[in-house]
Amino acid sequence: MDFSFKHKRISGILTILPKKAVKFEDEMTNYSFSPAKCMKLKLAMGYNEHRIAEPGQCSSDFCKFGLQYLFDNNLLNKDEIDALLFVSQSADYYMPPTSNLIHGHFGLKQDCLCLDINQGCAGFELGLIQAFLLLEQPAVKKVILMNADVLSPKVSDQDRNSKPLIGDAAAITIVEKGEEENPIYANIKMDGTGAMVLNIPAGGFRMPSTPETAVMEQDAAGNFRSKNNLVMQGDDVFNFVQREVPPMIEHLYVQSGVDRNEVDWYMFHQPNKFMLHKLADKLGIPHEKMPANIVENFGNASGVTVPTCISYNLGDQLVNGKMRLCMAGFGVGLTWSSIMMEMGSLQFNKIIEF
Amino acid sequence: MEELLEKLAEILEVEEIDVNKKFTDYEEWDSLTALSVLAMLDSDYNTSMKASEIISFNNIEAFCKEVLSR
Repeated sequence: MDFSFKHKRISGILTILPKKAVKFEDEMTNYSFSPAKCMKLKLAMGYNEHRIAEPGQCSSDFCKFGLQYLFDNNLLNKDEIDALLFVSQSADYYMPPTSNLIHGHFGLKQDCLCLDINQGCAGFELGLIQAFLLLEQPAVKKVILMNADVLSPKVSDQDRNSKPLIGDAAAITIVEKGEEENPIYANIKMDGTGAMVLNIPAGGFRMPSTPETAVMEQDAAGNFRSKNNLVMQGDDVFNFVQREVPPMIEHLYVQSGVDRNEVDWYMFHQPNKFMLHKLADKLGIPHEKMPANIVENFGNASGVTVPTCISYNLGDQLVNGKMRLCMAGFGVGLTWSSIMMEMGSLQFNKIIEF
Repeated sequence: MEELLEKLAEILEVEEIDVNKKFTDYEEWDSLTALSVLAMLDSDYNTSMKASEIISFNNIEAFCKEVLSR
């Protein structure tokens, strides 16, 4: 499904990372792999260090910390917030919505739309599309997009599929109406037949958490997980990404009329280095135009990886200049989405720690 | 088939592949080498398989025949 927007812009990106960094080497004894095999895994996937929230820290806490930072530094005015989007797979409660809790925490104005969206790896793109759609309304001038996930507590320590790459993080993106035309092209596709390729079996209404769902079981590859843990069919995810993402980007070139060489940066979701290099090769994009350094430095925090990649790799370059970005997310749902737009003259684009 | 066998030998870190063996007979076979095979099928043979499908073949010869027939 294709979308196009005009007179909208991103005016700031703030990424909030946990202070605690964990090294791959410190966790690899938990995996049913020899040390030599572990080092091969590390090298192939680009694992090194990932950021993990402290026990008790929820994804909403990272959002609150980031918003407080923006208020304190006069980068955002409370009264300007017309919509508050919280895109996450780690809400505080089933009810109420986490966005409402954050709204209440700061005493935001009542003329404000709060919306929780359950989405993962394509959460930045889906969140932006939702923000742009809201901004079509005269009453909505500024949308705060919060992407946040603290999923590390849901990943088994003995799961080498997911543990070495998981990261916790949040990002706050300010999206607003703009004077300039600034055409934006976006697309999104879904395949619900693959919905369980990435899932957490227990803990919802379908299968409540019980002592039985907490029992650790071994899978064919030697990983131990309980039904309370996140589980990923790695081969299905790999095949899905390699099958669907390249045609989506080829379509985005046609949709936007932008040639692949006119794109300054490819800011893609960061599953691991291996998958990103394969994607770049398939699309004929030089590796240096598609940064793949988020998993090795911070871990994969689902929908937060694209803003993290932008904050980490571009920083003040997007404050002082303007660039054409091709962004893409793909994963849980299954969902895949991409956006072509120019971004620049941001008020801020940085990483802070909580 | 020669070329495919050479690629498999490289992934499994052996001099030569015994086509009568199964993937799981090889010491190096695990989730990481399975992913390498998936990636090789995708980039060099423009096809895909599930990891469980790869190990379901009676031997590597049957796997190769299937890949090359696609």
